[in-house]
Amino acid sequence: MRHSERYDERGAARAVAVTTARRVGRQGLLWGLLFGGTIAASATSYSGLVPTAAARERLALSFEGNTAWAALFGPLRRLDTVAGYTAYKSGMFVIILAAIWGLFAATRSLRGEEDAGRWEILCAGHTTRGRAAAQAAVGLGAGFALLWAATALLSVSAGASSKVGIGIGAALFFATALCSAAAMFMAIGMFVGQLAASRRDANLIGAGVLAGSYLVRMAADSDPGLAWLRWASPIGWIEELRPLTGSKPLAFIPVVALVVMLVALSVWIAARRDVGAGAFAIGETPKPRTRLLGSQAGLTLRLTRPTVVAWTAALVATGLVFGLVAQAAGSALRGIRGIERAIQRLGGSGSGAASYLGFVFVIAAGLMAIAVAGQIASIRNEEASGHLDHLFVRPVERWRWLTVRLGVGLGLVALAGLLAGVAAWVGAASQHADVGLGELVKAGLNVVPPAVFVLGIGGLVFGILPRASIGVVYGIVVWSFLVEVVAAVFDSNHWLRDTSPLLHVAPVPAAEPNVQAAVWLIVLGLAAAAAGIWSFERRDLVGA
Amino acid sequence: METAIRTENLSKTYGTTRALVSLNLEVPRGEVLGYLGPNGAGKTTTIRLLLGLVRATVGRAEIFGIDAQANPVEAHRRVAYVPGEANLWPQLTGWETLYLLGRIQGRVDTAYRDLLIERFDFDPTKKVRSYSKGNRQKLILIAGLMSRADLLLLDEPTSGLDPLMERAFRECVQEARERGQTVFLSSHILSEVEALCDRVAILRAGHLIEVGTLAEMRHLSALHVEAELDGTVPDLSNVPGLSAVEVEGNRLRCEVTGPIEPLLATLASTGVRHLVSREPSLEELFLAHYGADGRGEAGDDAA
Repeated sequence: MRHSERYDERGAARAVAVTTARRVGRQGLLWGLLFGGTIAASATSYSGLVPTAAARERLALSFEGNTAWAALFGPLRRLDTVAGYTAYKSGMFVIILAAIWGLFAATRSLRGEEDAGRWEILCAGHTTRGRAAAQAAVGLGAGFALLWAATALLSVSAGASSKVGIGIGAALFFATALCSAAAMFMAIGMFVGQLAASRRDANLIGAGVLAGSYLVRMAADSDPGLAWLRWASPIGWIEELRPLTGSKPLAFIPVVALVVMLVALSVWIAARRDVGAGAFAIGETPKPRTRLLGSQAGLTLRLTRPTVVAWTAALVATGLVFGLVAQAAGSALRGIRGIERAIQRLGGSGSGAASYLGFVFVIAAGLMAIAVAGQIASIRNEEASGHLDHLFVRPVERWRWLTVRLGVGLGLVALAGLLAGVAAWVGAASQHADVGLGELVKAGLNVVPPAVFVLGIGGLVFGILPRASIGVVYGIVVWSFLVEVVAAVFDSNHWLRDTSPLLHVAPVPAAEPNVQAAVWLIVLGLAAAAAGIWSFERRDLVGA
Repeated sequence: METAIRTENLSKTYGTTRALVSLNLEVPRGEVLGYLGPNGAGKTTTIRLLLGLVRATVGRAEIFGIDAQANPVEAHRRVAYVPGEANLWPQLTGWETLYLLGRIQGRVDTAYRDLLIERFDFDPTKKVRSYSKGNRQKLILIAGLMSRADLLLLDEPTSGLDPLMERAFRECVQEARERGQTVFLSSHILSEVEALCDRVAILRAGHLIEVGTLAEMRHLSALHVEAELDGTVPDLSNVPGLSAVEVEGNRLRCEVTGPIEPLLATLASTGVRHLVSREPSLEELFLAHYGADGRGEAGDDAA
């Protein structure tokens, strides 16, 4: 058996790249389909939403040059064309999500593996620290390639539709420009992973870079005198590419330079620093804070606090943005029959700020569902990591723990919904929009029931089939999103729409809340959660 | 005397794998029981069943008379558990972890906790994620021992500890025994079990194959004999109970099961210059049960 005993050196060196590519590639493909779907939905819905030349001109006139709008979504150009509308509608949304995905994929693949102790095992084998980091970069590159391929494929096919008519070259340029956010933040994730002492710290620093980059371009887009600032922000570079609105490929130079430089630097540092160490260690010997550590419920609050605060802040910011632009958007949309029909399809009526808010609060419902899916994932991770063993070998009742844990999820959605409504009112009132506080609080709370439903189903699956819980709960969110995209393209398809919990929401404040649907969603959600708790009490604890 | 642990036909099956088969075991209060078996023999499964972390397929487990499967929370008030792998919350510090686990357990001997911190030379000010494996193990040991629970369930508690710390651990178990605490010690370190345990239970492929004191086990096992004779070794074929016979000139090495007198009588005819006999060590007993490679006949990977 001499042959099989020979060490496969090339295989060993490739192992890091292959495992990274396998994990990141799967995600990349999924996210690519999501991005491509978003782009396709924006492009194909344009002719239905704004069918006449007059309406298109009105849309362009109302939005182009609107500073508040440009600050949020980037400069708006050529909104009277399907290309300009698609660039505005899907651009910033895809850029931000691509950046977040790229960042987390990179920190997980490098720093996360190091935190888990698996990196040590790799580096003890037939590879070196630097080579392993370079291999991980290759794996991330493969994941990026799949993200790009899926996004590009759907963009090109949507562009080829007779209703859209965007050329292959322009569609490819658009997909490449948006996906370059993922490439840049993968490189940033790799780099901060070399500096930070843990994956969590790396994520924090990376998120800070992303926020800073968004804010810098925000300043650049809100004042023409500051337009040069766009060159100081990676997201600004993507804006400078002007995809679909007059491509300027020269702006790819800083994008490529950043990626190459940070990847090379990361590999260089990885080869020179100790495994497990970071350039900056953030507070490894802090003062003990025991205030919440007196009970399992307190521990749950302590562990979930950062996520709850972050999600609540995200939803409050979303509500505020909705409110700030509601007045301008409402008057721009007035009389655009396609939008009015879309609102009617959701059960609303009328136009103006209230109508616009009713339309966009469905997005908050989607964010809420993602937040809830994250809660279920962290519940499962507590069990899979073995942390729960330390509680349940002590006098702690399982049902009590899971009730508190799901209760946190419930509290998060209720609080975030309420505050998002209030924030939307603050924003709207500052722009003198005619929408009352009561109506917007109702709008905020209106998006809570679908999240309660998703939480309950997540709790049920966790109670019965813990290993499937994360997949199922994110599956529901992705499914709801896909149904929404499909429903927007093919107008109305009732039985399909009924399978998405998010589409049972009435467009408050453009319509009265659908109380019956809300009650059903809550009752079903709570019943599912109760069944999950009952089952959790009776099953084995299951590791990873 | 009160019984600390009692199991009746306790069994656990994962799919088609029988991780534990009809375990019947009693551990009286105050005893230190060593629980031995190769990897996958069902040791951890037994402990997880006793803690109610997994559900028994059949059978019953009691801790101080409390049904540990039906009423785990009440049973846990009298138990402390130390796992071999300390997966603690990485964002908490050592102090915070000790505080949390103490509060949740409901009782802590704070003076003893401080003594343990000193004895294990442990720095509790750091975050768990920055501790080495050995330091995490110390933390989880201190967290388990500080409650002075009536029953200590220890699952390979010294993995990752250096010899000095292992000695400190042995002191703790001795103290626990002196205080009347019961200790259930699952371990691969046979010298540790030999030094600490009143009785030993040996598990193989989910079956309990031997329980008893070391003296009882040795009595049933072979005695190791080495002799140097004045002349050549005589014919030993008629001596009963001999095995593993090795002859090298006038030197003899063998194992004797049962009375040693027939061997001594035969050797005396030639004249004995030097003779050493020794009882088997726990390691030899253990290997005798598992074969030289240390594995059971049908070892599985259930636990």
